[in-house]
Amino acid sequence: MRVLRTIVQALFLAGVVAILVRGAMGLTTSTCETYCPFAGLVALYPLLRYHTYTCAMNELHVALFVSLVALTLITKKSFCSWVCPLGTVQEWIGKASRKVFGRYVRPPVAVDRILLNLRYVVLVLVLGLTWTVWQGDLGFRAYDPFYIIFTGFQGHETLWFSIFIGIGVLVAAFFVPMVWCRYLCPLSAVMDPMSRAGFLRLRRNPGLCTDCGICDEACPHGIPVATADEVSARNCTNCLECVEVCPEKGALELTLFGK
Amino acid sequence: MKKVIIIPAAVLLLILVAFATTGAYRVPTLEVEFVEERPAVVKSVEYTVDGLTCRGKSRGFAGMISGVEGIVSLTTYARSNTAIVEYDPTLTDPVEIETAFEGPIAHEDEEDFPFKAKK
Ligand code: SF4
Ligand code: SF4
Repeated sequence: MRVLRTIVQALFLAGVVAILVRGAMGLTTSTCETYCPFAGLVALYPLLRYHTYTCAMNELHVALFVSLVALTLITKKSFCSWVCPLGTVQEWIGKASRKVFGRYVRPPVAVDRILLNLRYVVLVLVLGLTWTVWQGDLGFRAYDPFYIIFTGFQGHETLWFSIFIGIGVLVAAFFVPMVWCRYLCPLSAVMDPMSRAGFLRLRRNPGLCTDCGICDEACPHGIPVATADEVSARNCTNCLECVEVCPEKGALELTLFGK
Repeated sequence: MKKVIIIPAAVLLLILVAFATTGAYRVPTLEVEFVEERPAVVKSVEYTVDGLTCRGKSRGFAGMISGVEGIVSLTTYARSNTAIVEYDPTLTDPVEIETAFEGPIAHEDEEDFPFKAKK
C-alpha cells in the first residue's frame, strides 16, 4: 500500500517539478497553478455571475475542481495524501521529524481543535479578498506556499514576504505534522463536508484490535483510530499509515459503503 | 486490502474526466468590441498565440491590435491560447493583425515581445 501511494505521490511531485524546470527553460508558460483545483473554486463566482473567467483561471480549473469534489466524496481527502505535491513534501518532512524525535510532535488537543478552524478563516478571507480588494485577481498567490514553492520562489506574484511563507511552512512542517494542510489550507476546508461523507473509509474490527494504540501515534493528522469503529473524521486522507503499522492483520480495513 | 486500488483508479479516472469535460465550462476569457457599428462585410481569423495565458494578457493583446484600422472585435480563450479576431477585409488582413500583436511593447529601457502566433 505504502509503495503504491509513494509511487503516485512521486509521479505528481515529479509532474510539478517538470513544469517548474520546463518553465525555467522557457519551454512552457504553464506553472503549477495551471492544474490547481482551488482556482476552479475561485473561478465559480465570476463564471456564474458574469459568465467569464478572471485572471489566469479557466475551464480546466473548474473541471479539476468538480473532479476533486467527486474524488473527495468517493475517497475522502485522498487528494491530500496521494496527489497534492505540497502534502507530499510536508509528509516527508514530518516523517523525517518523526525519525529525529521518535514520534510526531503535536500541539495539545485543545489548541489543535482551535487551530483546525483557521482553515475556514483563510477560506473566507481568500474568497472575500479575491472578489473585492483583488478585483478577481489571484492575489492569494503571494501567500500560497504551493504557488510560492513550486514556482521555485520565482512566480510573478512571489513577493519578498512570500519567501518567508514558503520556507516557514516547510520548517513548521518539521515541528507540526502537515501544518499547512491541517490548519491553513483553504482547499482542505472546502473538502471537509465531502470528506465527512466519503464512501471509502477505514473500519476497525474490535474483535481483532488489541487496543495497542500504535495506529493513533502513526496518524499524521492525529486522528484517534484506536477508539473509532469507523474513521469518519473529516481530516482522514486515506493515507493508510495507520493500517501499515497495525500489528493485527484485518483489524483495520478499508470499506466502500460500509462493505 | 484490495480496495486501496480504488484510490489511484479514481484519481486517474477523474483527472481524465476533467480534461475530457473542460469544453462544458468553456467561456471566453475576454470579449471586446472595437467599433460601435459593424461594417457590412466582416471576416474572422483565429490565432493560437504563445503568451496569451490569462485575462490580463488578453487585455494587453487587445491593446496591441486596437491600433489596427478595421479591427471589429476580439474574443480570447486563455486555456487554449486562442484569439478570434473579426476584421473589415477592406481595411486590414490577418498578416497585418499578426504583425501588430507580435510587435514589441516598449518598457522603460527595453522592448518586450509578449505574443507570438503559433504556426
Ligand atoms: S486515520 Fe489512518 S488513513 Fe486516515 S489520515 Fe490517519 S493514518 Fe491516514
Ligand atoms: S494499531 Fe491495530 S490493533 Fe492497535 S489499536 Fe490500532 S487498530 Fe487496534
